[in-house]
Amino acid sequence: MSAQPDDTLIALLDRVAARDEAALKALYDLTAGKLMGLAMRVVGKTEWAEDVLQETFLHIWRSAGDYRASLSPPMAWLGLIVRSRSLDCLRRRGAERVHLTDELDDSLQDTLAGDGDDPADLSLASQQAWALHQCLRQLNAKQREVVSLAYLRDLSHGELAGQLNLPLGTVKTWIRRGLDQLRLCMARFA
Amino acid sequence: MNLSRHPELLDRLAAAYALGTLRGRARRRFEAMAREQAPVRAAALLWESRVASFNELPQPQTPAPAVWTRIDNLLAAEREQAAMQAARTTPAATPPPNPRGWLGSLAWWRGAGVAGAVATVAALAVSLGLQNELGQERTRANGLQAELQTQTTQVAQLQAELQARPRIEYVAVLNDQQASAALLVTFDPEGQRLNLQRVGGFQEAADRSLQLWALPPGAAPRSLGVLTRERLLQLAADAAALRETPALAVSLEPLGGVPSETGPTGPVLFQGALIRKQI
Repeated sequence: MSAQPDDTLIALLDRVAARDEAALKALYDLTAGKLMGLAMRVVGKTEWAEDVLQETFLHIWRSAGDYRASLSPPMAWLGLIVRSRSLDCLRRRGAERVHLTDELDDSLQDTLAGDGDDPADLSLASQQAWALHQCLRQLNAKQREVVSLAYLRDLSHGELAGQLNLPLGTVKTWIRRGLDQLRLCMARFA
Repeated sequence: MNLSRHPELLDRLAAAYALGTLRGRARRRFEAMAREQAPVRAAALLWESRVASFNELPQPQTPAPAVWTRIDNLLAAEREQAAMQAARTTPAATPPPNPRGWLGSLAWWRGAGVAGAVATVAALAVSLGLQNELGQERTRANGLQAELQTQTTQVAQLQAELQARPRIEYVAVLNDQQASAALLVTFDPEGQRLNLQRVGGFQEAADRSLQLWALPPGAAPRSLGVLTRERLLQLAADAAALRETPALAVSLEPLGGVPSETGPTGPVLFQGALIRKQI
């Protein structure tokens, strides 16, 4: 959450915008693990996540010049690119995906079964991500998972209920309560 | 409804909007209000930025090293393509000087020397330095002539050297499974590159790349690069990479190709003999 990693990433993005391939490689070395983790969380399959990561870096190569106008912390900007590429990937593979949901969500079922704390690596994260992480810790693991997935996979209440094998009413309640708690908590961080 | 008078409701709707769980008609109504009321728009943007932090929380995971190779291959292919386009649009890069051209310009220099002298005569007709000026012009013209002579000799020498250096050219026609020509490959020893021309109608899917391989006997295939989608393209290569290579092949790979060390992972679509041109 310190400003240091942000400065490094911003300097690299500036160099990438100036067509510096070495800077793209340096940016990749710093962030690929983090972005791969995000892609995995959305698409749930290594091969697809790697495709997403590849598309993401080619996109960064072409549009790093747009970064500064976004007024976002660098990891937030990079994260939005990965999420939108990941959702594209899921849409493209929509048909395939229907048959894969079981395999895809094994890891989710594990999370839903337990109530452990969610360890997060925040070394590159923005202040806001740190705040969100603090607030999410006040939710129980199931609420946290359902709210996170609603956003990350862009799922409706109905789709969440289907994918997680939960009653629709339960999903709605978890999301409503989870989001209310998040709102109160995030307000304190302004 | 003026949502800004109901801050709690606005906050709840904006959060659900940003999270994506506000759907259907309720979502469209909220969007309409955001367009009309700046405070609603501000609340939506604030929450969009807050929930975007979900993207930063997943556990890191190390991608396979091949991912960077694929990115790097695509960048290299893009670079080659851009260079080729630049070369095509720039009107003939500075042509090599030829002796006839230099001789031709010698006449111009003489003419220029004379014109210069005439102008000097007109301007300095009454000047005491007239003789002196003319003498200087003559010396300069002589100097230029001598310089041209040397350069002409140098050009002739360079041309002789070029002719003596072996120009190793290669050509290959790669056929598909039906023995129809699919790709023409020639090696340009001066530019140190392979020129490729797609001749069949084959077009790979958007998420696939064609990759060109050298097939040395008794050794693993060696990647020569990944093809872009254009009909005409180039890949950087040196003669050493083609020596002892009797055949080339093209395989279908994931977008961006695979590292050279892993060898082709997809089906071989085209192949053909690499022939050293002697005519």
